[in-house]
Amino acid sequence: MAVTQAIFYLFATVLVVAALMVITARNPVHSVLFLVLSFVNGAGLFLLAGAEFLAFTLILVYVGAVMVLFLFVLMMLDINLQRMREGFLNYLPLGAVIAFVLVVEMGAMLAAGGSGAVVGGDGALGGTEAGNTTLLGRVLYDTYLLPFEVAALVLLVALVAAIALTLRHRPDVKKQDPGQQVRVRREDRVRLVDMPTEGAPYAPDTGATGSKGGEG
Amino acid sequence: MTFGTPEMLAVLPELVVMGMALGLLVLDLYLRPDQRGITFALAVATLAVAAVLAAVLVPGEARTLLNGQFLHDRLGAVLKVFLLGGTALALIYGRRPLQRLAMYRGELFILMLLASAGMMLMASAGTLLMAYLGLELMSLSLYTMIAMDRDSIPATEGAVKYFLLGSLASGILLYGLSLVFGASGSLALDEIAAHAARAGVSDPLLVLGGVFVAIGLAFKLGAVPFHMWIPDVYHGSPSPVTVVLASTSKLAAFALLMRLLVGGLGPMAEQWQVIAGALAVLSLVVGNVVAIAQTAIKRMLAYSAIAHVGFLLIGLASAPTSGYMAPVLYMLLYTLMGAAAFGIVSMLDRDEAPARTIDDFAGLSRTHPWTAFLMLILMFALAGVPPTGGFMAKLYVFQAAVEADLVWLAVFGVLMAVIGAFYYLRVVKAMYFDPPERTLGPVGDRVAQGAVSVNALAVLGLGILPGPLVELSLFAVAGI
Amino acid sequence: MLESYLPILVFLAIALGVGVIALLLNFLVAPRNPDPEKLSPYESGFEAFEDARLRFDVRYYLVAILFIVFDLEIAFFFPWAVVLDELGATGFVAMAIFLGILVVGFIYEWKKGALEWE
Repeated sequence: MAVTQAIFYLFATVLVVAALMVITARNPVHSVLFLVLSFVNGAGLFLLAGAEFLAFTLILVYVGAVMVLFLFVLMMLDINLQRMREGFLNYLPLGAVIAFVLVVEMGAMLAAGGSGAVVGGDGALGGTEAGNTTLLGRVLYDTYLLPFEVAALVLLVALVAAIALTLRHRPDVKKQDPGQQVRVRREDRVRLVDMPTEGAPYAPDTGATGSKGGEG
Repeated sequence: MTFGTPEMLAVLPELVVMGMALGLLVLDLYLRPDQRGITFALAVATLAVAAVLAAVLVPGEARTLLNGQFLHDRLGAVLKVFLLGGTALALIYGRRPLQRLAMYRGELFILMLLASAGMMLMASAGTLLMAYLGLELMSLSLYTMIAMDRDSIPATEGAVKYFLLGSLASGILLYGLSLVFGASGSLALDEIAAHAARAGVSDPLLVLGGVFVAIGLAFKLGAVPFHMWIPDVYHGSPSPVTVVLASTSKLAAFALLMRLLVGGLGPMAEQWQVIAGALAVLSLVVGNVVAIAQTAIKRMLAYSAIAHVGFLLIGLASAPTSGYMAPVLYMLLYTLMGAAAFGIVSMLDRDEAPARTIDDFAGLSRTHPWTAFLMLILMFALAGVPPTGGFMAKLYVFQAAVEADLVWLAVFGVLMAVIGAFYYLRVVKAMYFDPPERTLGPVGDRVAQGAVSVNALAVLGLGILPGPLVELSLFAVAGI
Repeated sequence: MLESYLPILVFLAIALGVGVIALLLNFLVAPRNPDPEKLSPYESGFEAFEDARLRFDVRYYLVAILFIVFDLEIAFFFPWAVVLDELGATGFVAMAIFLGILVVGFIYEWKKGALEWE
């Protein structure tokens, strides 16, 4: 138990420090990287609490995908850092009040919620008999079938929205279409023209009905 | 888990809307740009069919299905009919204006269907999870629809404001829901109600959660002091989307409120009654007074929407004692009024002469008497002038307040209605007594003209003969 | 349960150790004689004109969000795969519908040309 407790405090300390760095780092890219660090540590804490699935989701989805999106968006925006730092002191009192309220609420919740095991993994749902992921799987596709399918629809909306809002085709782009290249037939590209062999280099009398283009 | 016929029948309207949204998404890919009308017509038809199905499949008594996720009851069915009908009307009104805005695209119709699916899920949410998922499905679709007017700066601003404040509201709501879940140990609304009846105010977690839920709902409804997004979003959004925002998305927020506060936290009504009363007073004052100062028609109607939420909240504050008929009736009528009023505004919108200010309505009675007459009905209805439906709605709400011993609230509401009449009448004055400055003709096909006429005349008719709607509202709340 | 994660912890410790030692050795062993000219930013004989950061195209964002959608889909697969034999037909159908919805999205995305890089 002492070892897990030590690991818990290690993860927790790094998490808090990384979270502080997220909001104090000068470079927003560094902030994102610190956020990645805090997510990884958060995943460690989830693991210690026995929530395996949450830990993996945090790594897979947040670290793997959401943070990439954050970085792309950060690089897309033209952020003026100096202007972002202005007014920090103005917002401080309000921020402090909100933080205080949140701390009080969390305290109230802990007071009301009893004292289950925080570390060790056995206190979490399911105990040692079946993993957290198994238990989740048992209910997610059965009891929570409707929310599960609606979640797919929400993802679909995100997909449609992203395409509808950001996709613009550029009219002036020239590109190859491999399908068309493969599908092309000989007849499309090569034309055999039957031409009479040219006799004399100059024909004086072609008649009045012919074109006049070649003359003169 | 069972998938019997009754389950499938109960969720049939939802399945139709969702399935058609998926089907149309694929179908639209294979259509030429000039065949967009097919997607449009199918989307409207889907909404209409689903509305009919919801009306036909109304259950005798409330049942929870699909492991408690889905609540199949009369209130849900009635709300769904109005949600689907209202969205269908918004699409019909919006056909020409959308073409003008270059937003007549397959994605918009599909998002409209998915937003409707979200609204329907909110109206029949049996658990906190379904309520939240429905809300997000609707909100995400709406944010996107506003932002689809990509080259318009006000629309982009409106979309960003709506998205940021909407996410904040969703976050607050979700926080509240998780506290309620933590306190009661269940996601199911009926079990939460049972816990609330047992524990009541003695459970601080439940009280805290309830407050956060109430704040989140107030945000979504647009009650003062959580209203700041309404004017900018209504004003900036492309008008056809504003029709949905003002009518059916409001009704969906109300449906969510009925599910969460009445269905889930009903036993704590005494507590949230006070919140509703306070929000009602603030909304009435801010909505009505600030609306007077507006010159832009959509901003004016946005503040009027805030004021109407105030009247709705009067009904809600008195509802635990005097019954939920009055607020349901009010909300159903407001959905009709809001859809028609914003529908006419959206049809009058033009590039060369956007009907953005009230002055643009000058002389409309001479150039387009019928449209002006419809607008007259709607302005009178919103102001609450007899014999329109708006008067009846207000009457029932005030009556409910008096029954609930909230006479001061009723008196205050009447006073505010009188102040509010001023700015509605300004539109009427502009239309009927000011000389025409420019000719503003309604753009819109015959179907849209006919639909908006029926919609506005229904508002008038329900004032003269309120019986059917009162019966319907009583039918809807019979189970509560 | 936690014992099975011991290798990962050891791995993390070694990875951290290697990284820290490499930096530390560099810090201790390498000669350092900084002067202002050495430390100043230098670009082809000029002072740097602007920030090295370039604005990315919005299409990167599109790719990232499409990735997130399908990444989340994968996350939903984990618990499903673990308990599929317990769930039977219901679980299979549930996932089939879920996948079907996202396949519709995938068809849409493909046909729209969102996967092409012009």
